[in-house]
Amino acid sequence: MSMERYILSRVIQIIIIFFIVMSIIFLLFRVIPSDPTSFLLTPSMTAEAKEAIREQFGLNEPIITQYYLYFKNFFHGNFGNSFYGGRSVMNIIKERMLNSIFLVTTAVILSYIIGITVGKAIAWKRGSKTEKFFVGLGLWFYTMFTPWLGILFLWIFAFKLHLFPLGGMITSEVWIANPSLIEKICDLIHHLILPLITYVVLWFGGYMLLMRNSMLETLREDYIITARAKGLKEKDIRDKHAARNALLPIVTAFAISISFSITGAVLIETVFSWPGIGRTIVEATLRQDYPLVQGAFAIITIVVLIANFMADIAYAYLDPRISY
Amino acid sequence: MKKKKWKLIRQIWDLIRGSTFIKLGVSIIIIFGIMAVFSPIWVNRNPEIYDPIIGVDPDVHGSEGPSLKHPLGTDYIGKDLFSQLLRGSQIAFILGIMVSVLSTTIGTIVGLVAGYYGRIVDIILMRLADIILTLPRLPLLIVISGIFGTQSNWIILLILSFTFWPTISRVIRSQTLSLRERPFIESAKVSGVGNRRIILRHLAPNVLPITFYYLTVTVTGAILVEAGLSFLGFGDPSNMSWGMMLKWCFTTGYVFKAPYWMIPPGLCISALAFSFYLIGVGLEEIVNPRLKKR
Repeated sequence: MSMERYILSRVIQIIIIFFIVMSIIFLLFRVIPSDPTSFLLTPSMTAEAKEAIREQFGLNEPIITQYYLYFKNFFHGNFGNSFYGGRSVMNIIKERMLNSIFLVTTAVILSYIIGITVGKAIAWKRGSKTEKFFVGLGLWFYTMFTPWLGILFLWIFAFKLHLFPLGGMITSEVWIANPSLIEKICDLIHHLILPLITYVVLWFGGYMLLMRNSMLETLREDYIITARAKGLKEKDIRDKHAARNALLPIVTAFAISISFSITGAVLIETVFSWPGIGRTIVEATLRQDYPLVQGAFAIITIVVLIANFMADIAYAYLDPRISY
Repeated sequence: MKKKKWKLIRQIWDLIRGSTFIKLGVSIIIIFGIMAVFSPIWVNRNPEIYDPIIGVDPDVHGSEGPSLKHPLGTDYIGKDLFSQLLRGSQIAFILGIMVSVLSTTIGTIVGLVAGYYGRIVDIILMRLADIILTLPRLPLLIVISGIFGTQSNWIILLILSFTFWPTISRVIRSQTLSLRERPFIESAKVSGVGNRRIILRHLAPNVLPITFYYLTVTVTGAILVEAGLSFLGFGDPSNMSWGMMLKWCFTTGYVFKAPYWMIPPGLCISALAFSFYLIGVGLEEIVNPRLKKR
């Protein structure tokens, strides 16, 4: 099968998965035991007002029509309005998604770079005390309870030492005063550092261990022995011969890590009151703001699907041995 | 027969002794095991004060620091934090191990069946696994818990297992695919052994090391995800897990004032998750010859 056909078949697969997932979401929200409008309606409301709200959310239509409307609205980017405040769900999600992507991509890239560099180095020193120490450290942080580490950092660096703000993404007083762009960026970075460090500390371990295992397998290959026999420098063998080939499995891990990083984002955003999509889905669910929950969940799923797809393509492109 | 059993126990013992990772992991688990067993003893001395859910100390107002009566202090309404911590270790063990056993069993069976039968069975099962894998786990759990309204640990157990089996089944499947082509399977088929017997007697024992690895690693995942759910407020309100302890500490505003309340539950979650993962890594180093020292 050629590369083009492989990509095409993956695209078709992903579209099918997308429709199945969206249908699952649709069904989930239609089996809600309680009436979703009950959270909108206060007892003082008139019957007409209640009816108008049912009408607005299409709850009077038969289920098939609702299903059709659901997809139609989805492709028009229309997820309805939030039960609270009445803002368009799409606008809320757009804004929150950007905030999340800003935090998560910075964090993933940083932990990726640190993890790979350290992993490479410790695989080379197989069996040494340094290796054992870093493996232990990586494992400990990898299995650490995310919100707890976040709270610890907040307690030490923000509450005790007053180095960083206690949460949020911006200081509104600073932004209202109409500051220069540099001041705005500084304020943003000031808020970003603590959640970012938490993220990187928690996630570099996973990449590091993966890189180490992958390196250890690569180091047993014949071409490493050949490189040694040729008398190449140790550093060149490590960086140019072994590490490049060891990177392959890490690419696939990247896609999985996107899905994991969403779990991390939900928890870290909640601890640091970061106005991202993860915190949005938690708050919306707690308030039973169903249009917002449904929209946020759909968008998160789509992001994960696209990430998986890109990793597949990257992998196929990087490794000529792969049979599609 | 008895001799054989002893030999097996000796073998497991040697395995544990040989690996630093497994030794450390097992030691931590034993500490938490003692905590879980000690829980009813501590509570039953005086359930009215020490019960982790309904017990309240009438002499305490607000959260107070550690004392002789309450070794870890009390929470915002005067409940004993030490008994909550002990109860939490029971829940973490029960939930973690049950999720792990359930999802590893399903994952292994699905992987074996998909890999052995191939064709349409394989396609259907693996696409199903793909779909579940692409669903973001924590948001999915949040949404499901939100929809069911009243959460119970049983629902959490079921949906956790539901999201954990696909990873395992994919690995087992790829292993089965390569095993299927080996001569001993061929000869079993030729001599007329039934499909079910081939899977149970010839394939299953060969994938067992992987199953054991996932058995331990899944406990870690389950403990962390359950704690995360409880921390976010989607836990079983009729019980007190570690995640929920941290949640109450966080939401009642004691998080920076009461380190005696904030530190223990998070430390316990991390340590227990760590210990099961260590055993998994130790097993991996033994089973995967490619990771052994040159």
